[in-house]
Amino acid sequence: MPRLLFEIGTEELPAWYVAPAAAALAEGLTARLAELRLTHGAVRSFATPRRLAVVVEDVAPHSERRMEVRRGPAAAAAFDADGKPTRAATGFAASAGVRPDDLEVEETPKGRYVVARREVGGEDAAELLPEALAALVAGLPAPRKMRWGEVDTAFVRPVSWLTALWDDRVLPVRAAGLEAGRATRGHRFLHPDPVELDDAGQYEDALLAADVVADRAARAEAVRAAVTEAAASEGGLADAAEALIEEIVDLVERPFALLGAIDEAFLELPDEVLTTVMIHHQRFVPVRDAEGRLLPRFVAVANHRVPDEALVRGGYERVLAGRLHDARFFWQADRRKSLAQHAWSLSGIGFQKELGSMADKVTRVGVGAFAVAGLLGVPDTEKHTLERALPLFRADLASEMVGELPELEGTMARAYATADGLPAEVAVALEDGVLPRGPHDQLPATRVGAVLAVSDRLDKLLGFFSLGKRPTGSADPFALRRDAVAVARVLSAQGWRVALDDLVAAVAAGYQGGPVAVGPQTVDEVVAFVWDRVAALLAEEGLTTPTVRAAVLGSRAVIGAARRGHLLRALAGLPAFAEMLALYKRAANLAERAPRGVEVDPKLFAEPIEAELFAALPASRAGVERLLEAMHVQLPAWDLGTGATGGIVGLDALAAEVLQLKAPLDAFLDGVMVMVEDEAVRANRLALLAAVAATPCALGALEHLSG
Amino acid sequence: MTFQDMIMTLDRFWASRGCVIAQPHDTEVGAGTFYPTTFLRALGPQPWRVAGVAPSRRPADGRYGDNPYRFQYYYQYQVVLKPSPADVQEQYLASLRELGIDPLAHDLRFVEDNWESPTLGAWGLGWEVWLDGMEITQFTYFQQVGGQDCRPVSVELTYGLERLAMYLQGVEHAFDVVVTPGTTIGDLRRDFERQHCRYNFELADTELQRLLFDRFEAEALRLLEADVVHPAYEFVLRSSHAFNLLDARGVLSHTERQAYVQRVRRLAEASARGYLRLIEPGEPSGPSEPPEAAGSAEAVA
Repeated sequence: MPRLLFEIGTEELPAWYVAPAAAALAEGLTARLAELRLTHGAVRSFATPRRLAVVVEDVAPHSERRMEVRRGPAAAAAFDADGKPTRAATGFAASAGVRPDDLEVEETPKGRYVVARREVGGEDAAELLPEALAALVAGLPAPRKMRWGEVDTAFVRPVSWLTALWDDRVLPVRAAGLEAGRATRGHRFLHPDPVELDDAGQYEDALLAADVVADRAARAEAVRAAVTEAAASEGGLADAAEALIEEIVDLVERPFALLGAIDEAFLELPDEVLTTVMIHHQRFVPVRDAEGRLLPRFVAVANHRVPDEALVRGGYERVLAGRLHDARFFWQADRRKSLAQHAWSLSGIGFQKELGSMADKVTRVGVGAFAVAGLLGVPDTEKHTLERALPLFRADLASEMVGELPELEGTMARAYATADGLPAEVAVALEDGVLPRGPHDQLPATRVGAVLAVSDRLDKLLGFFSLGKRPTGSADPFALRRDAVAVARVLSAQGWRVALDDLVAAVAAGYQGGPVAVGPQTVDEVVAFVWDRVAALLAEEGLTTPTVRAAVLGSRAVIGAARRGHLLRALAGLPAFAEMLALYKRAANLAERAPRGVEVDPKLFAEPIEAELFAALPASRAGVERLLEAMHVQLPAWDLGTGATGGIVGLDALAAEVLQLKAPLDAFLDGVMVMVEDEAVRANRLALLAAVAATPCALGALEHLSG
Repeated sequence: MTFQDMIMTLDRFWASRGCVIAQPHDTEVGAGTFYPTTFLRALGPQPWRVAGVAPSRRPADGRYGDNPYRFQYYYQYQVVLKPSPADVQEQYLASLRELGIDPLAHDLRFVEDNWESPTLGAWGLGWEVWLDGMEITQFTYFQQVGGQDCRPVSVELTYGLERLAMYLQGVEHAFDVVVTPGTTIGDLRRDFERQHCRYNFELADTELQRLLFDRFEAEALRLLEADVVHPAYEFVLRSSHAFNLLDARGVLSHTERQAYVQRVRRLAEASARGYLRLIEPGEPSGPSEPPEAAGSAEAVA
């Protein structure tokens, strides 16, 4: 069966677009083939900076044949007294594409109707495909498209050629002002002439011969290997973040790595400044020694094996030196002022129109942070650190370096604070306070930093929520979900056993007398918003929806909920847990009728089993407490979303303690009539059941679990 | 190749591709894009091809001549082709070959760059062209200029002449670039650069610049009312430069800065609308077809 090749040749695509676009093209084509009822074999996608392509094996030469049945008018209206088709029937036949004689009558639940049966399909795939392929070009999704020349199609970059082959036949695809042919193009410089393909099957090899590695995975492998090898050539280790490698892969068609050198004098700049300049500006890979120290080296990946490496290396080195020269200029310019002086400029930097300047914001965060520190009961030494850090918090926003390299926010605050001679704990808190900068970024390591980070994010959430600027659906223009995720992750990683609602209310104190009123309703909304993120992160850890719900409703503290989620998952693996759930549910069902505010009164016990059950309660409650204590001790705090480490030793025995209630409860339910005439006795028995039902409550909202 | 040989080579190359070789405009601009021959001519349907040196001033970019790459005054080589030709990348590469840059010997890359000028109400998509990691050209397909959609689309090529020359001459600092034997850029501009940096960063009278901005803005608006777009646009350029000086002096708060940007943008957009109103559709505004010589450079390459 025929093989289909479709390639969209372009001027250089943005690197970030290459992989998703190739996937979208393959998906789009697969969907079109399904709509056209063309069966097919394997779909392979290819992508480089200059092309998006897809090869489909074994495409059916004709669309699937099938019977199409259409219902027409009622039989009574379709034929006249002589059994001749009426105008209604002939009209229907024409529209259905059958002869009036071929109309059939069918019994339906609604009566007798005329139907037209027609075999459809069997269309020539080569006739169907050109239009479908052309539509893919115009319809390929992209966040931002452009136009060029006088062409009427929008694409991410101008489309330069189209290649469409059906085995050895060219499919006449017309799109973006071009007509498809059998020629693709090789490497821009190594192989400038068109590469004629006799057959779709030649695509990958022909391009390889023309110095293009079209298979993206193979190219990625080549980049990784080349970078590692280049760094190793002088005994270094490439510090290649996956994101950087992925970007480099889509900047080249034929990777070739070169090792370059930096003037050692630049190593006086903070590490992060060096690596950010290398990565952000040049897509160079930093090189480290075995101890992780930055070496005055870098690896660059060129688009082809250059004949004179020294010439190109020299170019790389000069341009990096120029960039570092600039970074040093910013460093020195910023250093002419102390970080405290930079902080003065925060009043000139807007936070959000209705919420004041960054200076206003930092003042609010200060109030909130102290309230949070109070809740946590942090020692005076840390309060002192907080006190020293607050006037400098986010001051690096006003620095030249952060203006030029925004991803260095926090890092520069630490560096400048250190250079100003401030204590290390203050400098570290300043950087910690802006962490995490993204969903996978590191978290604050220090408690003071975490207090700042949480207070800063909650201040933002409270402010924007009070302005009614909360995210709707997928629209989150102020990245508030990211802030809520940050809060959830920091709280979990810090393991603070403090109620989230108390924390949010504490930070809300910063708004007293402030630019907007933050009422209890806003506090509640923000609390609920953060809990949603906690639930989403727990789900990412593989917990089921009922478990997540039971956990999140089971604690007011983020870490409490997170740990309960993992405890409940572990418990679900024990046979005893099912018994515990059943027990709990039986008692809870009956206890629903328990009058409020009635305490169990042992004097009202009439049967010995009542007293026995009551006596078992404290031990069971103690069992729950021990189980929770073991949970808190044995599950170390973790970065929410990455999964808890460790498990609870002796879970069986701990669960058994909770289950001590089982025997007396069984006996009670079998032998004691609850709904007796005597109102006081009845109320007392119901209260006893309510007390039983409440015993495992501290483990979570167990009613959400099935068992 | 000397600095002036480079300029003359590019002039000849683009002239052979049908471009008007325009001489520098005499009002301060932050980039060649501000040139009336770019900003205004990118508007409307008429074909247009222009090339030439565009001396530019960016007060905040000055480094007192200390940084080998960054200056408050420098040369761009500016090319605008409207509509953008299908083979514009090949034409551009041919121009590099004319300068003696063989792409095979180097690592030459087109790296995504989304250009936006908030003051001009303009944006476009394209690339930075990297020569062994150094940005030597900005390559932009204009999508909007002065808030107006560009139809047809123009492509703008902006060569960083000093950087290219440094590379070609193998020197470490733009001041060491030889303009003509015996004379370097440093000879011509060293004092000029240092003194202007002192002016831009330390001495510029900010009250005067604020006042000038207001007056230039008012004048631009008055002239736009009178439908004299060209003089009006020059006052837009002057107000933009006054803003750039205030920015370099660091006296604008974030919000104030935003407000100035918006004011310049409003002027630029009003100029664009005024220009479109004035040009008659179909009025010849430049050569529509490149002369026969087009393609000869390709043959040389």
